[in-house]
Amino acid sequence: MIRTLGLALVMCGGLAQAQGQAQTSPDAIALLRKIYHATEKLSYAGTFVYQQGERSETSRITRVTGPGPDGGIERVEVLDGMPREIVRTRDTVRCYLPESHTVKVERRTDQRAFPAMLPEQIPELARSYTITRGEPARIAGFDCEAVVLTPKDELRYGYRLWADVNTGMLLKSRTFNRKGETVEQFVFTQISIGNISRDRVKARQGTPPNWHVEDAAVTPANFARSGWTVGADLPGFRKIVEVTRRLGEARPVNQVVYSDGLAAVSVFIEPIAGRSEAVRPGPSSLGAFQIYTREVANHIVTVVGEAPATSVQRIANTVEFKRPQ
Amino acid sequence: MKSTISALMDGELERRESAGPLDALKSNGEARDSWRAYHLIGDAMRDTRVLSGGFAARVAAKLAAEPTVMAPVRLAQRLERPRWQLLSAAASLAAVAMVTGAWYAVQEAAAPGPQVAQVEQVARAAPAPAVQVQPPDSANDYLYAHQGYSPRNSLQGMAPYVRMVSSESRVTKQ
Repeated sequence: MIRTLGLALVMCGGLAQAQGQAQTSPDAIALLRKIYHATEKLSYAGTFVYQQGERSETSRITRVTGPGPDGGIERVEVLDGMPREIVRTRDTVRCYLPESHTVKVERRTDQRAFPAMLPEQIPELARSYTITRGEPARIAGFDCEAVVLTPKDELRYGYRLWADVNTGMLLKSRTFNRKGETVEQFVFTQISIGNISRDRVKARQGTPPNWHVEDAAVTPANFARSGWTVGADLPGFRKIVEVTRRLGEARPVNQVVYSDGLAAVSVFIEPIAGRSEAVRPGPSSLGAFQIYTREVANHIVTVVGEAPATSVQRIANTVEFKRPQ
Repeated sequence: MKSTISALMDGELERRESAGPLDALKSNGEARDSWRAYHLIGDAMRDTRVLSGGFAARVAAKLAAEPTVMAPVRLAQRLERPRWQLLSAAASLAAVAMVTGAWYAVQEAAAPGPQVAQVEQVARAAPAPAVQVQPPDSANDYLYAHQGYSPRNSLQGMAPYVRMVSSESRVTKQ
């Protein structure tokens, strides 16, 4: 009864009212866990549409999981607009940009990064979100069950996820703001699940000639030792990783990532010296991402997040530098 | 009177000629009905969307809440334009007043502009709201670097990567 009431409220967009009335249900957490394991284990090939504001783009995704040292392989090709392709193997993500003859390479040494979220952290999400079951729906020919994550405060967005009843494959996801408006949405229009031939995702044979490689060269870091502190006193958000890396063409930056288990915010710190591009302090946004830029102690601090502008700005404002003793 | 009102609406009357019909609009219900009807006809011909119910009341309430600030500034800007445009502006103001029933706006329109400078000062003194800036030129590099650590990857695989490279060409430099 309580759950039904909560659902009705959520569906009315009455997020505030839902707080304290709807309760996280073990059933909904179980579904979230099912989606997680499906993402990890399933092979699939399909087409999905990404919508954000006026923008709507179709992409093809193929994923083959496999045993052995190779592990799985996953490829995403964006079919609309500028061609681009993302290929992930066990420990490397490559992003091919044919028009600029560029390939961005990111290798992971710490296993923690893939996957970014661990199944035992799923129940922790209930601290920041009320997790309930949503209305079932039919998507791309599959009967789906739904889970709704309604934020408990204004520091994060809400999520509505639809997954195939049989396999748990996530077929649609919608991010919504506190007014209940859609921030972005992914939805499969066609998909085959299971029995995908590995031939369909053959990795490219090396980097094509004349392309330039932007290697992120990610290494673990410790900012506190060099004098930087990021307060990030946002409820529910905690530090998940701290690295030094290259951004684009050979610009070394520090990156620290905070997350509540679903929403994530990255703080980038880099010296002003040697930067050619203009620095525009203040809030900005690009697609569904919020950005906040400020100057601290001759460095540029850029905070980028899949979270409301308030959260991004609050994290940006806690960044401080004190010369190490 | 109806043809005069029509002419007033189209901005075809000289300033002194418009005084009469404006007075009529203030006092005469029939003149006001014609005015309203002509605007409806014009809107229909131009395919203008019909306003939602209670629109006039909401505008009136908003006007009451912020009485005089913007109107004088606007008039001052229009003073330099040709005469017919000025009259057209006066007619538009009258139209707004008509819709809202806030007739004081017409008197405001006739009032001289010495308070304009003062109004502008007030506007400048108001605290600036948080202004959105252009995203950094290499915003996509940041988004790409962030994406690798997004917990969304654990639920959606690589699909969320399509989000950040759309305008890559924007930042490509040779």
